[in-house]
Amino acid sequence: MFTIDTIKGHDRMSTQDLLLAISEAVANGETNFEIAASGQHDIGGPLWHPEGKTLYFHVANAGQRLGSMCLANTEIIADGSVSADVGWLNAGGKITVKGDAGDTAGHCSAGGKIYIGGRGGTRTGSLMKHDPLYEEPQLWILKNVGSFSFEFMGGGRAVVCGIDSEEFDSVLGERPCVGMVGGIVYFRGHSHDHPADILLEELNDDDKAFLSGGMDEFLRAIEKEDLHTELTDWKQWHKLRPLSFEEKQKTNIKHTDMKSFRLNEWIKGGLFSDVAVDDFAVKNLVEKGIYRQRVPQWNNAKYAAPCEFACPANIPTQLRYNMLRKDKQEEAVKLVLEYTPFPGSVCASVCPNPCMDACTRAKIDQAVQIGPLGFQSVYAELDMPTKKTGKKIAVIGGGVAGLSAAWQLIRLGHAVTVYDDADIGGKLEQVIPRARLPHELLQAELKRIETAGVKFVPRCKVDADKFIELRKTNDAVILATGGHKSRFFPWEGVEKLTMGLDFLKAVNRGEHPAVGKNVIVIGCGNSGMDTARGAYDMGAETVTCIDVQKPAAFQDEIEYIEQLGGKLVWPFMTTKITDDGIYDNKGRFVKGDMVIVSIGEAPILDYLPQNENIKKFRDWLVPQADNSILEGIFIAGDVIKPGRLVDAIGSGNKTAYYADAYVMDKTVPAFPEKQKVPEKSLDREYFTKCHHCDLPEPIGDVNRCVSCGTCRDCKTCLESCPEKAIDRIDHGMGIVEYISDPDKCIGCGICAGVCPCGIWEMTANPELIKMYRTGEAE
Amino acid sequence: MEAIKSQDIGKADLKWNIEYLPERCTMCGSCIATCTLGAIEAGVVRVDKTYSEDFQPTPLRTHRTIPVIKQVKSIANACVGCGMCEKVCPNNAIHPVRNRDNRQTLLSRDAGPIKRGGRTNLNAQRTLDHIIVGRISQMTDPSLDSIRHTFDIRAPFGRVLPAEKLPFVLKDGKLVMAHKAPPVRWIYPLIFSDMSIGALSTRAWEAVSMAVAYLNEKCGLPVRMSSGEGGMPSKLLESEQLKYMILQIASGHFGWNRIIKAMPRMKVDPAGVLIKIGQGAKPGDGGLLQAAKVAEHVQAIRGVPKATLSSPPNHQGLYSIEESVQKMHLSLNAAFGFRVPVAIKCAASATSVSVYNNLLRDPYQICGGFFIDGIQGGTGAANEISLDHTGHPIVSKIRDCYLAAVKQGLQGQIPLYGGGGMGMTGNAAADAFKMICLGANGVFVGKMLIQLLGCVGNEEGHCNACNTGKCPTGICTQDPRLVKRLDIDRGAQKIVDYVLTFDKELRKLMAPIGNSSLPVGRSDALVSTDKAIAEQLGIQYVC
Repeated sequence: MFTIDTIKGHDRMSTQDLLLAISEAVANGETNFEIAASGQHDIGGPLWHPEGKTLYFHVANAGQRLGSMCLANTEIIADGSVSADVGWLNAGGKITVKGDAGDTAGHCSAGGKIYIGGRGGTRTGSLMKHDPLYEEPQLWILKNVGSFSFEFMGGGRAVVCGIDSEEFDSVLGERPCVGMVGGIVYFRGHSHDHPADILLEELNDDDKAFLSGGMDEFLRAIEKEDLHTELTDWKQWHKLRPLSFEEKQKTNIKHTDMKSFRLNEWIKGGLFSDVAVDDFAVKNLVEKGIYRQRVPQWNNAKYAAPCEFACPANIPTQLRYNMLRKDKQEEAVKLVLEYTPFPGSVCASVCPNPCMDACTRAKIDQAVQIGPLGFQSVYAELDMPTKKTGKKIAVIGGGVAGLSAAWQLIRLGHAVTVYDDADIGGKLEQVIPRARLPHELLQAELKRIETAGVKFVPRCKVDADKFIELRKTNDAVILATGGHKSRFFPWEGVEKLTMGLDFLKAVNRGEHPAVGKNVIVIGCGNSGMDTARGAYDMGAETVTCIDVQKPAAFQDEIEYIEQLGGKLVWPFMTTKITDDGIYDNKGRFVKGDMVIVSIGEAPILDYLPQNENIKKFRDWLVPQADNSILEGIFIAGDVIKPGRLVDAIGSGNKTAYYADAYVMDKTVPAFPEKQKVPEKSLDREYFTKCHHCDLPEPIGDVNRCVSCGTCRDCKTCLESCPEKAIDRIDHGMGIVEYISDPDKCIGCGICAGVCPCGIWEMTANPELIKMYRTGEAE
Repeated sequence: MEAIKSQDIGKADLKWNIEYLPERCTMCGSCIATCTLGAIEAGVVRVDKTYSEDFQPTPLRTHRTIPVIKQVKSIANACVGCGMCEKVCPNNAIHPVRNRDNRQTLLSRDAGPIKRGGRTNLNAQRTLDHIIVGRISQMTDPSLDSIRHTFDIRAPFGRVLPAEKLPFVLKDGKLVMAHKAPPVRWIYPLIFSDMSIGALSTRAWEAVSMAVAYLNEKCGLPVRMSSGEGGMPSKLLESEQLKYMILQIASGHFGWNRIIKAMPRMKVDPAGVLIKIGQGAKPGDGGLLQAAKVAEHVQAIRGVPKATLSSPPNHQGLYSIEESVQKMHLSLNAAFGFRVPVAIKCAASATSVSVYNNLLRDPYQICGGFFIDGIQGGTGAANEISLDHTGHPIVSKIRDCYLAAVKQGLQGQIPLYGGGGMGMTGNAAADAFKMICLGANGVFVGKMLIQLLGCVGNEEGHCNACNTGKCPTGICTQDPRLVKRLDIDRGAQKIVDYVLTFDKELRKLMAPIGNSSLPVGRSDALVSTDKAIAEQLGIQYVC
């Protein structure tokens, strides 16, 4: 027996001295210790007998951590109460405290048994553990414990018997078992505020077996056997245990998913259900049908090709090449005649061919040879309607405008007569040098008009009386008398001028008008060049052409004159004309013995009634929107404004359109204005530059034509559509149509992107998704 | 030879460039089909080469025309970098890249001031990231366990009276109220801030409000949401869930007709009323809703035809702080029988302290909160010049207001809420915690919520197309084709999950400093590695 009183007089033994003394005694084989302590810490462990015998401690007045790190075969009995941390890290000892324990009793104990005969402080049983190699630790408490008990408990069993604890709401204090992951806490009486992951359960048979198995020994140890009956009424007992890891996993997935929350607990149909129709179905980033952002449209021939757009007569050359591509040569050759009776005389000969300037192919290498293609149609013919309308229309003026109108009207079945004070053919016949326009070619095309049924009345001057007569005897009259009065300014010496138009007419009539040696031509436009050419032809030695501005004539016309030795002088503001030449405002002088003016012509309209309201701008007539000036009187060509021959064709076509509507008494939409195909939509990348030596004949130029705005049926879209949404429908007779199936199409626009001709066009999906509304008033 | 002029817009001029790998592309068209901005299109390129394979020059020629995806070279269709093309591309053949040397902002002003949504792209500096929670010792201040301990994370919304001002009298041995005290609600310190019906799609707005309901009903977090200035859905006004909603009234007063009409049918009081004077993203401007987004339901709820809706810069009937306090607060307190707290929201400004002082002096005790919105706040549409060049950072402003109240012994009486850039780096809990330590009672977030829903915009010029009506995620648009891209359940869940984590992360900062309730004003917990910030905020400078 090792007996020690740690206080001797006024001297208290230190913890160190006491513990070293105990260790020494154990090493010497001592097994029984009677210690009258005075607050020393850590009495009772970790100690082991050299022969493995049990060590017995009876301790009074122990300090903190009685029985700390206590090993098996150590038994400690403390009379009365002990301070904090009793049984701290107990690894197997049996520790009995007859009175109360301080805070954190049994803290981190992982073995042995701790019996408390009174209350436990805060955090009692915290971090208890169980090493599976050994028996689980037990902590028995007779009364109750303070708050935060059994925090972070990881194993073992704690028993709180709840004796003498009626005044407390909870025998486990506030917030017990926070962070507990293992072990069981049994308690008798009430507890509350357990965390959500701690289960409160009733005892099962195993629990009861454990408790009844251990209760006797506990009560005997703390000398309270009399409480046995009271404490074995299992109905008063409960247990707390943490959810196992597996159970926790399950709870984690158990939360209400948002969809069922919306369907079952949220506002029915959604909180916007009064103002927005929504099924809450979720669309993909790529959708078909109505949910596509964009849709393709096969806009074949919706837009005019640049050639067609630039041509005042709207000749759709891309269609001609399309036909040629399909070996429909005859149709192609005839097609142009629907737009002009002069494919050879104008398109192929004297037209500046704005079509070719605009041609997309010109941006790749050289324009498709649209102008020369006109030669193919010189001898072509169109079938004329057998059914006649019985309407009579007189055309005054056998020039390009009048003949174009007549051509269109005869094709519509009307009876058309063309009157001219000279030979039929207008400027083509009277003014354009034969070298620029072979006479046989013109005559062939005039013949075609006549053959078609147009009655020509040449050399018939229409004066005021004749006009009245024609008006009376026809259902409509078209005025297309052109410009025949040469214009000039009131320069000094104007009386010396020769009128250019008269001069050229005389040349074309074969009259060989006399010219000077040194001829001056005022005006460097195409007619100025024609005049210069005429002057040379008539024997002039030099020709000087002057203009106030940069010459407007075509380059090849200018070159031709220059090649003959002609000179172009500009800017030259004529002020005075003398017998020797002309002067400009800066005193410059150009020598010449004949001055021909060729700066344009104004119409001669002396046959028109004076007493009717006819609008004019200067010398020209101003028509209504339908090109009429009076009831049944329509106008075309240079009487409206000076223009190119092709402008006169366009003007004649338009006038014919309205005159037809008038005589047939039908309402027609405005003469169609074309929209040009957007340049961006054309894919020039398909075409490689052609060497200028490799240019084919105009009629063979089919492959170079981009076919702007007109489907060339190349099937690139069909082959490229990633969704196979495009179908090609063959309507026969060479007519095809492409359609895109909305149920397959995702609106990617690859069809539009790869189409060389700009046919497929993407637009915002026009199909309305009706989602929103105003709601309803209560 | 292409006819391209030096001044034509090229790819290099645009902020975002489409990087495209034709060898990977299968021309499936998905990228173009999904792009809402029309920034890409299909086209063809010519691959012409003259090559020689012989041992002496023997020129051979190839001509191939291949289909490709092209970026549209126009300012109007400029790519915003949203990356939907990349998302749908099955072959990683396409994605947008930022073009540092672009000239887009310079060239975009032909049609007047640039409009966009999102946050400031110029003043996105982060004061809060220079602040660290530096007082964690575990010796001087025992830490709590963030996971296992319980925390009281609640903030007051409403006028808080000090104990001595509470109208308690002793009657028959019991304390009773002698008269009505101002209403105070204890709410979660993270308020879902005002994004209007109109600015957001129906689905986005509903997803946010549904997340709020879920957080309240399933998670026990009393999160509140401000309606924004576009009014309220009638169904919500008449539902129990109205109690989660703070009704906003802004200078446009949009939607209040339907709110008032619904009053007789309201089952519960709303959580509060927020008078919006201004917002941090564009101080001095009223709300702006571009016509493209004024769909039929927006027209109906707001009571206006299809038009670009500009709210006036000021409430038309208010001419001074005093009047704002008295007239506006009084009317809105009265509207709900003085049972519902009424707060006020202003853009942070050099004068915010004066405003707060004025509110604190309010003798009628009818101001229930002061919301200050900093320059980093988001918006659905604003002039870019306002977004980038006007406003005021929020952090020092909250601090100044708090300290002004402390100086008068009035701190906590009118709750302070700070917003504008909260959660900008993804961690709103850290931002909230620091703001609270500096004196805020809570914070409010908006942009972050829609980012959780799926918004890809950010403060570095990414997307920000909220104003166009072409939001690729269906959040900031009323185009049904786009709205229906948004999965409302998934979006709401994302917000819920974020807030649950926010809650855990907030505890993770509260626990180490030993606070189980919100550390309002506990600036001692903060330190800064930036001396100027430390000095301005009155916190410890550390390095």
